[in-house]
Amino acid sequence: MPGTRGQEDTAENARPETAAGEQRPQATTQQAAESERSETAEERVARFERDAMPLLDQLYGAALRMTRNSADAEDLVQETYLKAYSAFKSYTRGTNLKAWLYRILTNTYINGYRKRQRQPQQQPTDEIADWQLAQAESHTSSGLRSAELEALDRLPDTDVKNALQQLAEEFRMVVYLADVEGFAYKEIAEIMDTPIGTVMSRLHRGRRQLRGMLTDVARDRGFLRAGNQEVSAS
Amino acid sequence: MNSGDEPQTSCEDVLSEVWLFLDNECDQERRATLRRHLDECGSCLEHYGIEEHLKELLHRKCGGEHAPAELHNRLRSSIRENVLRQADVTVESGPEGTSVEVRQKPASSAE
Repeated sequence: MPGTRGQEDTAENARPETAAGEQRPQATTQQAAESERSETAEERVARFERDAMPLLDQLYGAALRMTRNSADAEDLVQETYLKAYSAFKSYTRGTNLKAWLYRILTNTYINGYRKRQRQPQQQPTDEIADWQLAQAESHTSSGLRSAELEALDRLPDTDVKNALQQLAEEFRMVVYLADVEGFAYKEIAEIMDTPIGTVMSRLHRGRRQLRGMLTDVARDRGFLRAGNQEVSAS
Repeated sequence: MNSGDEPQTSCEDVLSEVWLFLDNECDQERRATLRRHLDECGSCLEHYGIEEHLKELLHRKCGGEHAPAELHNRLRSSIRENVLRQADVTVESGPEGTSVEVRQKPASSAE
């Protein structure tokens, strides 16, 4: 009967498929496990020193922007690196090591470090003198002119860093990761464990506020005329 | 869609996407469209130039921190220490001096 033959065919065809399907992932897991096991502790340290240690300066820079002082930044980076080393076995080679380290840094900071920090906790964004932010953001509506960029260029590094420090934490980190470190939105989303849309809106607000603050500083320094007017030739 | 007869991109559109363009976050096709507009529109190009300049300024003025050398050394030694702590260390003192033998603990293979 055609019906019976059909059933037999199905059963026969199904068998090798199932077998192959079961074997393949097993083999992959075994291979991965073996290649991991073959690495001695010494080799792992060497690999960690070769790949992760060169990123120390960058992570320290990010830690400075998070903690806002060098002693806390050092502690945070140290904790991050020790955690990263102990988890290094589970880090998948060939994936983005820098983003992986930044994620550990951010988690360490948010989940533990920030609570212990002695510095007074920064107020939530909404409470930080809203008028100040509004004022800062309003500058952009008029837009910066090329001439004003020259004024910003002349600002000392510390002024720009201080302006960045004044941003609320969630804006500060996104701006830092995007503009100073050059991470892609997707990477920032992973590092900060937020949706990509949140990254974008924080980046927009953060950039606007920062711009306003920088313009204010440049004016205070006398690099810009009051009233945000273009510098005249006279 | 044919890129040849695409609709005109307005300055408003371009300005609203200028950060996506700057951050290299648009797809290839959109990027090409925006670039074409920037090539032809002086005021949008000026706006873009300012954004680009600001991004570069932040990178220049807020990047390039250096971790203290002492932190670097401290980290290296505590990681090394960590390895030793996870290993069996045998120290034998004999008439020919002191020998140190380090063997990895089998704990890792049991995971």
